[in-house]
Amino acid sequence: MNSKLIDLCQDTLDRTKQKGADEVEVYGESVRTITVAIEKNDLQVSRAQKETMIGVRAMCEKRIGFASTNDLTTIDETCADAVTLAKASPTDENNVLPQREENKYVSGIYDPASEGFGIEQAIEQAVRMLDIASSIDKRLILGDGEFAVHIGTRALINSNGVSWAEPESLFVYYALATARDGEEVSNMDYQFDATRRADAIDVEPITRRACENALGSLGAQKGESFNGQVMLSPNAAQSLFASLILFQSNAKNVLRGMSRWKDMLGNAVASDLISVVDDGRLANGVGTSSFDREGVAHKRLNLIEGGRLTSFMHNTYTATALGMENTGHAAGSARSVPGIGPSNFEILPGDRSKNELIAEIDKGVLVTRFSGRADPVSGDFSGVAKGGYLIENGHVSRPIRGTLIAGNAFDALKTLSGVSREQERVFSLTLPYLRLERISVTAG
Amino acid sequence: MLQLLQQISTRASGWVELRYHVRCSKRIAVRNGRLEESSTLRLAGIGVRALIDGVFGFSSTTDISEKGIEQAVSEAQSAARVSAVAKRDKIAPLPHMVLASGEFAFQTDDPLDGHSLAEKLELVMRIDERVRSAAKKIVSSSVAYSELQDEKVIVTSDGAAAHIIDSKPDFRVLAVAQQDGDRAMGTDSAGVTGGYADLFAMRTPEEMTDKAVRLAVDQLGADYAAGEVATVVLDPGLVGVLSHEAIGHTVEADLVRGGAITSGKIGTQVGSNLVTLCDSGPSTHMPHAAGELLVDDEGVRTGRTVIIDHGILRSYLHNRESAAYFGVEPTGNARAFEYSDEPIIRMRNTYIEPGISSVEEIIAGVKRGYYLQGLGGGGQADSNAEFMFGVREAYEIVDGKIGKMVRGVTISGNAFEVLKSVDAVGNDFTWGLGAGHCGKGQLAKVDAGGPHLRCIVTIGGRQE
Repeated sequence: MNSKLIDLCQDTLDRTKQKGADEVEVYGESVRTITVAIEKNDLQVSRAQKETMIGVRAMCEKRIGFASTNDLTTIDETCADAVTLAKASPTDENNVLPQREENKYVSGIYDPASEGFGIEQAIEQAVRMLDIASSIDKRLILGDGEFAVHIGTRALINSNGVSWAEPESLFVYYALATARDGEEVSNMDYQFDATRRADAIDVEPITRRACENALGSLGAQKGESFNGQVMLSPNAAQSLFASLILFQSNAKNVLRGMSRWKDMLGNAVASDLISVVDDGRLANGVGTSSFDREGVAHKRLNLIEGGRLTSFMHNTYTATALGMENTGHAAGSARSVPGIGPSNFEILPGDRSKNELIAEIDKGVLVTRFSGRADPVSGDFSGVAKGGYLIENGHVSRPIRGTLIAGNAFDALKTLSGVSREQERVFSLTLPYLRLERISVTAG
Repeated sequence: MLQLLQQISTRASGWVELRYHVRCSKRIAVRNGRLEESSTLRLAGIGVRALIDGVFGFSSTTDISEKGIEQAVSEAQSAARVSAVAKRDKIAPLPHMVLASGEFAFQTDDPLDGHSLAEKLELVMRIDERVRSAAKKIVSSSVAYSELQDEKVIVTSDGAAAHIIDSKPDFRVLAVAQQDGDRAMGTDSAGVTGGYADLFAMRTPEEMTDKAVRLAVDQLGADYAAGEVATVVLDPGLVGVLSHEAIGHTVEADLVRGGAITSGKIGTQVGSNLVTLCDSGPSTHMPHAAGELLVDDEGVRTGRTVIIDHGILRSYLHNRESAAYFGVEPTGNARAFEYSDEPIIRMRNTYIEPGISSVEEIIAGVKRGYYLQGLGGGGQADSNAEFMFGVREAYEIVDGKIGKMVRGVTISGNAFEVLKSVDAVGNDFTWGLGAGHCGKGQLAKVDAGGPHLRCIVTIGGRQE
């Protein structure tokens, strides 16, 4: 399949040049997907899908156009569209394609055993999720869930001689649980995990966690209003901080003038307890691959070290425009122009346990999920603490409902007082528990 | 294509549904004078559903030859057959009904293809420039145009034979203002079902620019609201968000069966008797609603579904399967975003019916409260109708008069408690949620709106 896809990309590149482009990049993705869905404690629809998508970036004198198609009978029109769009666009000197470098392939992202993984095996895993939930408590409802298999190949070539092709396999599963006791409906809890290898699939931990969190929020009562400490679960930390950090460290937002950290390289942007890395070559990582969306080799990058901002995430455009080193963070599918995104993002663990951090809280709130908004520009956040618990005298005392938390995420990141040893994976992100200070808590 | 699909569906054993879908989409995005995207995407393929032993199986393919489609049919059938062994809840055969047949096309006098890509590119570049030159405090701008043009052919073994043409453009403007290290964002957007002129019928691109700029600049230096339970007047945009996000999702029949709060509540009082809440396929009250859907993706003709009638819960939103389960008629809410998505229950245009009060009267009746306009920065709601939304624009109301702007406002509560607290409904009507998409595993173009209304919500501000 590798060589077939790369031949298709090469043919597309040649045709685009013939139509008048002076530089061309072609990205191809060929994917087979099996999805088994869970809905209201039962199997829902099972799906089998196959698609090959080709995305063409054409440049004419530093003007750029992009077109993509999944209809391989329209490749010629697609090449023509890309050239037409390029010619209608303004010139931008920063429109360049990466140069050729040595191809170093990562291992461990493709499991040949996945080829034999069929709909029967996928259904078996989904049934296991249902069985786990019903064995925990009859009040539980797996309202939604999924077990999915993606097996495919990515290929990228450009007119500078860059040429990559790589197969990959990925098993992704999630569970969304609520508990219903008479009239009372608990909060919904959502957990997911993923692996590259068929023999590493384990749906139990996430199913159990979603169910226990849903059950735990039953009987929730009104909380209290105060200004104080808040403990965020990895899931809540993802909503409040991972997106914020990714937004600020995205070089596109630096270029756009939207990143608060645009002039902060080398300076403190967070508590010295915080270190953040993004490693596109992480062994067994969900976001691991050899090359990025533009054919630049992935590598390990320190974004924040001991609270100091050490790098932004770049693609070729932003690296050229800002005169910085390309970090290989071009991201996206064959359907759209390369953007910027993380691969395996991690807030490094601290040296204290979650329980030690809670033990020091006289009055606070434990937030397992945050439902609300965090404005990436101002940093203001405000939302409901879902699956919230009151913490009193060093212990988690009782579930609370409708409690609002509000504050500023930039300030909170600087003043936070604890990072747990425990980490959880939130899809391709790996995050610890975080203890925040001076957060506004309002009983709903 | 219609004939080919009909031949294949006739030959197939058991019930099948074949949906051919070609989508041509275009997108132009500019930020701070830089062209970030000018692209086209062509997606063509067939989605197949088969029903075997009471279970659906789905497959999709980009091979639209007779052989390719037949292969997809057999994959959908085998997915159904294998699932049927493990699935507990089986579907009864779908009840007989008259399904859509013929041509169904959106209406416009100004088709999107009558305007060149160069013209659309020029507009986006010009508006982006206008945002940045509008005020000294503006430090960043972003403008985007996108369009979806769809052609579908839907054929089922039990009689659907519909050919559908659709067109949905949208336009967004964003401005960021800064002063003394303080930053604020202002946005405006529009989205319709229709052509190019229809997109700008409500507000011109220039008017949208001025609105986004004013919002960004005015928020600088504005005070934050205090956290409290307050009487508020919601504008049609927020009424739409409340109707769609906080109420609408809880009446989607799949979520009802998944344990949503509305389960078992049909015929009971769930809101003030001033509230009549609907979800409609055709555009009602005002043309070109962005969620316009004449035939759903199961081949069911759509209409206006009354969800809440004068405070009484009357209907959920159904596909054919859920309608059969609840023993009612399908409401035409089965939708698939792309050829490779299977149809699931989605909203279309969700709104509250206009009442009798003028907007002035509604505001004049508030002693102390807030006038809140539009969704700002997102929000979320659960199947228990607990919601939290960011507000784009907020003003204090004191003694019946609109006062100073406040920023950083969020509203939260239980949507049905909010509906019960409604004591005045305006005689105006606007669609307000046309740009962007609703997400539920897959995307959908929807709209939502209504009149102004007065109710009680929890305001989230900063607790000092």
